[in-house]
Amino acid sequence: MGTMPNLSRRQFIVTAAAVGGGMALSVVPAEAAFLGTEPWAASDGLAGAEFSPWISITPDDVVTVRVATPEIGNGVMTQTPMTVAEELACDWSKIRAEFAPTSRDYRENGVYAPGNSPTGYFSGRSTSEDRMKLLLQVGASARERLKTAAAATWKVPVSEIGAKDSVLTHTPTGRTLRYGEVAAKAATIKLDVEPTPKPQSEWTLLGKATPTKLNNADIVNGSLIYGMDVRLPNMVYAALRQSPVHGGMLKSYDAEKVKSMPGVLAVVTVDPRETPGLAMKSGAPFGYGDTHARSAVAVIAEHYWQARKALDALPVEWDDGAGAQWKSTEQMVDAAIAALDKPSESIEKATGDARLIDSQDKIVEAVYVTPFSDQAPMEPLNSTALVTADRVDVWHPGQQSRQAFWVAADEAGMDPSKVFYHQTFIGGAFGRRIFGDDLRMAVAVAKKFPGRPVHTIWSREEQTRQGKYRPLVATKLRAGLDKTGMPAAFIAHQATKGHFPRLADTPYALGCIPNVRVDAQELPFHVITGAYRGPGYNSYAFMIETFIDECALAAGMDPLEYRLKLFAKWPDPGWTKVLKEVADKSGWGKTLPKGAGQGIAIANWGMNGKPQAGTTVGVVATVEVTKSGILKVHQIDAAFDCGRVVNHDAALNLVQGGLIFGLNMALNEEMNVKDGRMVEGNFDQYPILRTGDTPVVNVHFGGLSGHDRFAELGEPPAGPVGPAIGNAIFRATGKRIRSTPIRKHDLSWA
Amino acid sequence: MPYDLTVNGQHHRVDADPSTPLLWVLRDHLGMTGTKYGCGIAQCGACTVHIDGTPARSCQVPLESAAGVNVTTIEGLSPDSSHPLQQLWVEMNVPQCGYCQSGMLMAAAALLSKIPNPTDQDIDSYVDNICRCGTYPRVRAAIHKAAAGSKA
Repeated sequence: MGTMPNLSRRQFIVTAAAVGGGMALSVVPAEAAFLGTEPWAASDGLAGAEFSPWISITPDDVVTVRVATPEIGNGVMTQTPMTVAEELACDWSKIRAEFAPTSRDYRENGVYAPGNSPTGYFSGRSTSEDRMKLLLQVGASARERLKTAAAATWKVPVSEIGAKDSVLTHTPTGRTLRYGEVAAKAATIKLDVEPTPKPQSEWTLLGKATPTKLNNADIVNGSLIYGMDVRLPNMVYAALRQSPVHGGMLKSYDAEKVKSMPGVLAVVTVDPRETPGLAMKSGAPFGYGDTHARSAVAVIAEHYWQARKALDALPVEWDDGAGAQWKSTEQMVDAAIAALDKPSESIEKATGDARLIDSQDKIVEAVYVTPFSDQAPMEPLNSTALVTADRVDVWHPGQQSRQAFWVAADEAGMDPSKVFYHQTFIGGAFGRRIFGDDLRMAVAVAKKFPGRPVHTIWSREEQTRQGKYRPLVATKLRAGLDKTGMPAAFIAHQATKGHFPRLADTPYALGCIPNVRVDAQELPFHVITGAYRGPGYNSYAFMIETFIDECALAAGMDPLEYRLKLFAKWPDPGWTKVLKEVADKSGWGKTLPKGAGQGIAIANWGMNGKPQAGTTVGVVATVEVTKSGILKVHQIDAAFDCGRVVNHDAALNLVQGGLIFGLNMALNEEMNVKDGRMVEGNFDQYPILRTGDTPVVNVHFGGLSGHDRFAELGEPPAGPVGPAIGNAIFRATGKRIRSTPIRKHDLSWA
Repeated sequence: MPYDLTVNGQHHRVDADPSTPLLWVLRDHLGMTGTKYGCGIAQCGACTVHIDGTPARSCQVPLESAAGVNVTTIEGLSPDSSHPLQQLWVEMNVPQCGYCQSGMLMAAAALLSKIPNPTDQDIDSYVDNICRCGTYPRVRAAIHKAAAGSKA
């Protein structure tokens, strides 16, 4: 338990400001006892005096902090207020968080996301350097203005005023005022000089406290409103079916067959050629290219189950299009591997002369493959849209709300000033909800049924088969080892569709191996790909860390020692520290019975070409394989270096979860293709680990370097788990794992 | 035709197709959205409710067989979030995105009412819900802590 007091729901309201004015107000049901459950609900009039778009204070001391990072479970709606509170010196129990309205951002020229940065409204990175700086300044500035207002009230110098726990004290006389008593006055004050936030050594909240998350209370009684839970007057439901072969087109359907079914209101179609677009420069941070509408038919009914039953009964024919040429996953994997023999001239990284491989003592070469995988967030895709002649309102569990806001405008052909984006809570995202393509489909459906809010729901099967998957990647890695066994040169040839240029973002390619060439080529696959927790990284960490293990074996060295030697000159001491910590805590090198083994791997997400950036995670997996080939992962140990942490328990929670996510990715996940169609539809075919399948997961904090950064923790843990397990399997059985999912491998040994 | 339901002790009359899953009756007809749709095929457990005290996946319970029984949903687990598991879930920061946690809590509560001091194996078999965020270690720890608390 944290050091902060428990907070009751009444003290803690997590909500978001209205963006739709009276309209949004009118849709809040009177019996909605808990304001905080509907994040778009209006707080105008509740929030009090506005100090800046980020912060308002009421006469009774309630501090509203507006958060521009949608909450996907990573705690951003708690972390952001903590950062502000550090400087504001307010009573933590008086803080409420709400969502910073995307529509306001547009109306007020980017007050929350200046410069259209992709991270401006992104759901992660609440502790990135620019955000921390901004939020600390927001808190410090408000505090100084409150002090200045108190000084003016008492007609004393500001230097005589102290601020603590939402109380202003005139130190010489002991007189006090509450923040709320001077808030209105303070909000009008403009400081001559902005205060400098205090040094980290004086922090009392950040790095010290681990409060319970602000929305926990609403989660545990089921009142938190996710996109799926949006309920509006006159709302209707749509069940959606898109072309089962990605890129295919609707050929025909027979609405007459279902029109008389109970509750059915309409059968509508979505045609990607009907997107009207906007005659203005897009402000979508990721553009519209990854958000195209998919050819679809939808049944609209009074209730969801009616829509679903009618959709199931609806006769539909499709033109499959070019994607149907891909008859099987095997055919696609073969095509990817074959492409590696004709390396691309598209060079991603070249240092020194990689041709020196052939003059080395030993050559290590292997081909690795990772499959299409679905993010599979627990909340199936869904969005609600109300399209009328003069405005569009959308309710969306979006991971990048500015992106989705522009996509909605584009699909409605409506000026963005008339688009009102209502952010809901989000039942998991993992990259699937970044591009706003889900909202585009909902708007495309709703515009065919104007005047009533239409809640479009993807069935689990529809969501799984209509993915934006982690790409299928085949990579050939080749290294030449010198006399000492260390790699002198290496080459990576990659073949994929929807390439993420991330493979070279590792110390191996950035100096630890002197001669490097990395190239990549796109494959003509029809399967739609996108972001998946740690895009690119989630494949390359597996490939490279398995390959390094193979190099260590060829050199006759211990895989830990080999890596330590490789990183000896790397100018980020975190790598060595992480390796040593995880090796020490996991008992690396201990004697294990036959059939058991340990494997190690280390990777970094977010370094973007430079040392001491992003987060480095080292993992040791301890596994056992029966002779018949049944794998048991006994234990996962991990150490990490994100620099420093501002919230110990939140960091622990994210790393634990990320490791388990990475475990499932490596053991279980694969989307297959048959005759162009995606095969897996639900959790019976796309298995996810459960409590009983989850090994002991130990997260160790001794790898933290203390470097001055608070790097992200969402993506990084997912990378090194798979290779650590694969390397452990090798040590247990002698079988090398060069592709995932691991469950498909025959691990039997004699 | 109309069916009479008892949900969290309250009587409701719902006029819908008899095959409508209880999940959608709760969410859509009764506006009780705490019970979540995750998979629709009894795999994930996000829709777990109690029927006469026994955990059930409401996506597989047709309206016609939900009549005449006592249904308890997450909204009725306690009147004021005072169930020990709810309190521990908050205190121990169990949730991440939280979407699966209604079902997790209902499964865990049913387990504790049947086996007040469960072993790890009991937890594995009774609380086999899917959580994509990977909160399993905390779910397990919170159940054990609740069990320990009830003994004290």
